[in-house]
Amino acid sequence: LYNLQRPNNSSNSPKSNRKIKDNAADWHNLMLRWEKLNEDGFTAAGNITAITLTRSVTQSGGAAELQEECCKLQDVVHKMVAVVTKMERLMTSQRGVQDLEEFQFGPEGRTVPLFHSWSTKHFNEACGLLLASFQQELRLKQMILQEVGHTVTSDLCMVYLSCWLQQPFLPPPDQTHTGGSMLTFSLFTICG
Amino acid sequence: MSKPALISLNQALKKSFQSLENNQKVWSSVLADCSPLMVSLGNLAEQSRALSNVQISNTPLRDFPELEERLRFKLLQATDTVLGKLNEKMSSLQSVRDSISNQVFAVFQHYEQNTDSLDLLTVTERSATAPSVSDMLEWLQDAERHYRQQFLRRKTLLQTLRADDLSLLELAPKRWKSWESPSAEDHIKDTLCKVSFFIESQ
Repeated sequence: LYNLQRPNNSSNSPKSNRKIKDNAADWHNLMLRWEKLNEDGFTAAGNITAITLTRSVTQSGGAAELQEECCKLQDVVHKMVAVVTKMERLMTSQRGVQDLEEFQFGPEGRTVPLFHSWSTKHFNEACGLLLASFQQELRLKQMILQEVGHTVTSDLCMVYLSCWLQQPFLPPPDQTHTGGSMLTFSLFTICG
Repeated sequence: MSKPALISLNQALKKSFQSLENNQKVWSSVLADCSPLMVSLGNLAEQSRALSNVQISNTPLRDFPELEERLRFKLLQATDTVLGKLNEKMSSLQSVRDSISNQVFAVFQHYEQNTDSLDLLTVTERSATAPSVSDMLEWLQDAERHYRQQFLRRKTLLQTLRADDLSLLELAPKRWKSWESPSAEDHIKDTLCKVSFFIESQ
């Protein structure tokens, strides 16, 4: 009776369990890093807007200050590109695990899901959606970086800042984790 | 004049002032928590207003699918969250108001039950360490009125706010701030000062 639910093979190994747990932790950390970058970027973008709207760039110091803030914002966006790149790599690795399982167990995957009701397939689907959101959000950030230094209407500036801050393409933040999503929260309750 | 009636009334008064002192601290702390929330509300209203004023299709943002709807949704959600937190704070303020009102009501009831045994001389008599009963009753009444009015105004304002009613949201922070009444707060602090010996006495 006790062995019914434990298929006798090497892929139900602690090793692949741990790989997925590690991936879940990686996703969570990447999202935390993104949130911190988002805050830094908001400060820089806000300063850029303030300089372009309220002060003449030809005033002494104005141009240098603007340049400095633009560099900061550019740096933030570069780091966000790095975060998304890591997410893409994670996704690739996870899909590799899924392909291996399907090879070993057929398209249904494991007979017993690694974590209660979550299968590798479901986990990957959720991560895939999350990745797509971050990729789209990154495109938006890159556009804001391009535009914010030469936008002279205050309403449009405010919309750019608002877009940066509110992150319209990311899923709404989970109540318990700033910047996280329901995905990582449930991952963590399941993985422990 | 009846000593027992006076003694028990004094006890009731002490209890009321102790309660007032605690409640006043809670009130100030909760009200202070509301300030950053009101600032957030104003910021979100500003963002929503800017979004309404901009024709997204005329901007580089046009290439992003459903950007306007998504941003509006996020702003509404964020506004809802802040309003929720403010409502929680209002519950705390309501508890303070109720506590003070109940205390003051009880003291006045106590007084009224004993008016036969407490003549005018007794209630207006004051000493170096104790204000007169009539003064103390008046101060308690003033404090109760202050918190009652404050709560009513602030609660009424919050009840009118909707996440999608931009103009009211824009006006809210200023109106909220306009009800700050440092003079009334000072008066209550003064009162507590004046009764401090009385509270500590036997």
